[in-house]
Amino acid sequence: MIWYITIKEIYHNLTTLRFALMIILLPLLFLANALIYSLGGHGYTTQINAHNRQVEEKRKHIKAQADKSLAELALKGPGEIPKLPSRLTFCADGTDELVPRAVKMISGGSSSRSGQDRTEDYGWTPPWTLEYPLQSKVGSAMQRIKIDWVFIGVLMSFFAILFTFDAIAGERARGTLSLIMSNTVSRGQVLLGKYLGAFLTLTVPLVIGILMNLLLILISGNIPFASSEWLRILGMVGLFALHISVFIFLGLFFSSRVSNAITSLVWLLLTWVCLAFVFPSLLGTFVGNLNPIPSVDEVSMRREAQLKQLGDEYRPFGGSESKLRQAATAENPEAARLWATYFTKEIETKTRFNDGQIDQQFGQVQLARDITQISPITTFQYAMEGLANTGIVGYMNFVKQARRYRETFIDFIKTEDQSDPESLHIYPVKEGLSQKPVDPAAVPVFTEQISYRNVLSQVGLLVLFNLLFFIIAQVSFLVSEVK
Amino acid sequence: MHTLWLVIQREFVSNVLTSRFMIGFIVCLLSTAVAVFVQVDDYEKRLSGYNTAVREAQEETRTWELYVDIKPKAHRKPNPLGIFNVGTENFGANTVTVELSKPIFEFVTFPIWLAPTQKRGSDNPFLAMFLTVDVVFIFKIVLSALAILFAYNTISGEREDGTLKLVLSNAIPRDIVVLGKYLGGMLSLFPIILVSLLVALLIAFASPVTGFDSNDIAHIILIFGVSLLYVSTWYLLGLVLSVWTKEAATTLILSMFIWVILTSVHSNVVTFAVEKFPLHPSKSEQAVLQPAFDVWDQFRKERDAYVKQRGYDDLKKSITWEPGTVSTGTGSGSMSGGYFLTESYSVSSVSKADTSIFQGILGYQEQLRIAYANKAEEILKEPAEAREQNAKFADALSRISFADTYHFAVGAIAGTDRQRYNDFIADSRAYKREIVEYLKDKKAFSSRAWFSTDKGAAELTDLPVFKQRRLTLSESFSRASIDILILLAWNIVLFMAAYVSFLRYDMS
Repeated sequence: MIWYITIKEIYHNLTTLRFALMIILLPLLFLANALIYSLGGHGYTTQINAHNRQVEEKRKHIKAQADKSLAELALKGPGEIPKLPSRLTFCADGTDELVPRAVKMISGGSSSRSGQDRTEDYGWTPPWTLEYPLQSKVGSAMQRIKIDWVFIGVLMSFFAILFTFDAIAGERARGTLSLIMSNTVSRGQVLLGKYLGAFLTLTVPLVIGILMNLLLILISGNIPFASSEWLRILGMVGLFALHISVFIFLGLFFSSRVSNAITSLVWLLLTWVCLAFVFPSLLGTFVGNLNPIPSVDEVSMRREAQLKQLGDEYRPFGGSESKLRQAATAENPEAARLWATYFTKEIETKTRFNDGQIDQQFGQVQLARDITQISPITTFQYAMEGLANTGIVGYMNFVKQARRYRETFIDFIKTEDQSDPESLHIYPVKEGLSQKPVDPAAVPVFTEQISYRNVLSQVGLLVLFNLLFFIIAQVSFLVSEVK
Repeated sequence: MHTLWLVIQREFVSNVLTSRFMIGFIVCLLSTAVAVFVQVDDYEKRLSGYNTAVREAQEETRTWELYVDIKPKAHRKPNPLGIFNVGTENFGANTVTVELSKPIFEFVTFPIWLAPTQKRGSDNPFLAMFLTVDVVFIFKIVLSALAILFAYNTISGEREDGTLKLVLSNAIPRDIVVLGKYLGGMLSLFPIILVSLLVALLIAFASPVTGFDSNDIAHIILIFGVSLLYVSTWYLLGLVLSVWTKEAATTLILSMFIWVILTSVHSNVVTFAVEKFPLHPSKSEQAVLQPAFDVWDQFRKERDAYVKQRGYDDLKKSITWEPGTVSTGTGSGSMSGGYFLTESYSVSSVSKADTSIFQGILGYQEQLRIAYANKAEEILKEPAEAREQNAKFADALSRISFADTYHFAVGAIAGTDRQRYNDFIADSRAYKREIVEYLKDKKAFSSRAWFSTDKGAAELTDLPVFKQRRLTLSESFSRASIDILILLAWNIVLFMAAYVSFLRYDMS
């Protein structure tokens, strides 16, 4: 019986104006998406080339330092660490232009002092710290809605509303609802049939659109796919289905609630506008007030003040009050130890501020994301970004791994140093470490692990939304009047 | 006249009594209130950041003793109307450091050492990934939806109900019916816009930092007028579709579809496509650096040639020392980021030196340096100009949708559009020219205070201060005039279409 209702619904839907409109719009958008992302500027090819160049530079940098000495490598750091670009930006762009593409673990420049009374001449390399440069300082991002699959998904939820607003209210107005009910069919079955009808009407063109889109992208040959990508795309299709289904239930709920199809559409439309535009944006920006953090300028001012204080304490550039008048040499371990204390403090201060600031920013973004997930549309968007490995969460994971790599690298230096009996084992002073070259191949390499575990929570949330709306639609239909 | 009034009244009452009026009113009011609340807070932050920056810059000014030291800053003042339309308020640089030897330009993707244009005072760059919502955004999306919801059943709905026949069987001309329905619908939308805007103003006024003056209020009234025009466009569109279609449901679906296309699909597709397939492909920012480097090589050559022509191997040699003075006391420092070259000179035991020729050469050299900085600027601003041209092209295509035309119009009136941002960069360049003129007037380049304080420090009390001119109402209006005209044209066309189609409407 359910199947009969479903078939009838589908036939009914196929002949409507909204179906015609959808069938025109969907392929157009998928076509635009495929063309823009596969052939447009700054596409995957450009990004992967830039990435490979950076990886190559990093390899060369490590080799150059390692060939000189372990000490050189220890102080210069492993270089700039690029984040792997995602192949699936066309699915979920995730405001990629705001997300930094690399972190830095490289020492900038060198310092020296000379020709002063009672101060030995000395040149040193200020040790590296993990820095998080921003993608673009000026902030060019004005236009933030991208024509990716997520955007198409948002439009699909709009169509879900258009297909369901009159599903029950319309039949009730025409008087056909009581005719259906006079048969031996339960209300649950009617609702399910209507649901399936709308679901199939929406998803079949969607899947066809997606296939077309993928075909175009494959033909263009600019974005290569591996088997894992196919799996992720399959997951995304699942997300589309979950997302559309939420809105079908929502539509059925309003449709059974009100007597007039138009009133139901008015309610649905305003709900949709709130869920798609108003809530996510307002709540997102509101977090800035909810959980304020110091501005970038303030943090950098405090950081500079502390570094200056440290400098005033030790005076590395000499002077009568300098604690570091003696140069660090292999023969003078005492002085080397003093320098090590200074450098360690400097690294510690810089790291505290850099890590602290980015953690605070991440905290704010995380809070904003958690709050905005009350909208199923946003949940869908985050899940898509998670699967595509774009957006801020991908960067957060990357930063976490970079921090782990920082530890690994320092551990490597220290263990390598222990094996050299001539070394003083004083980190991070050049003269206190092994002067022998190391095998560049032995230096740990950064490999990015991509985790999709975060997506599970969003999928769970979407399932929960489905259940919730299913129940309220069911209950509201059960208690509603047939006439 | 009486019948027209009757139609208007009837339309108004039938709209106001519906649930959509109440829901729409509440949604519009609440979201406007929250948006203004968030934006006022944002404005306060921007303003305090601006005030701190200005204060710091003033303190810095007092420390300058030599002409060569001066590095005045141009700060972009936050616009109070940004509360209603954020636009470019949080976008781009807000501080330009004017250095005589440095070109003023903006790089967006390529980091530049000691960049002249900087952005200060953002507490979390990542929060920019959430769309900013302001009053105009809410009007653009929510009010347009409401206008359609009010208009879709004006004709087709009445036809279905059978009341249209009854209305027309009276002695009412059809044109009166159309006009009455239009005016009645607009009359019922009017209080929603008015109250929302008043609430917005009230919240904005409640904040201690927002002092709107009469100029601002005039601008806000103009924004209100344009918003009415915008809503009227949507209402007329709904009316036309209502005449053209037979069933109210069809009208609604068709108009909702157009609504989605015009408010969220069209401009995004167009802008994104232009970004990926730019009409004016620009050189990468990295690529223009090399020619800018070359400019400075030319400068060095021309400068050295001049010094030689004056008969010296080196600028420092042009100083004549009193007999017996050990002339080791000339130091020079130079700094170059590649795209700029600053050099400073310090002459110790300057009291024993005759620096008149030195000063003369400096007077030539520093003005030459400024000329070369301008040459470098011409090269370095290319990418930003190409970007701007592409953006203009995308804007022109976006204007097909009147939702975006409305957004551009309000941006131009509020002074928060890209044009106004470019004005800021242009103004800071003009400010630099003003500073140069000021120094020329004082003969500062060839003065002793350029490099030494021994005969008095540089006189900088009347150094020009950067001022960004505010636009008067008529200027704002003329900037927005094209967009307003487009909206007006849409209104006229749609009204004519509704009018003509209704006159020929087949009642059977």
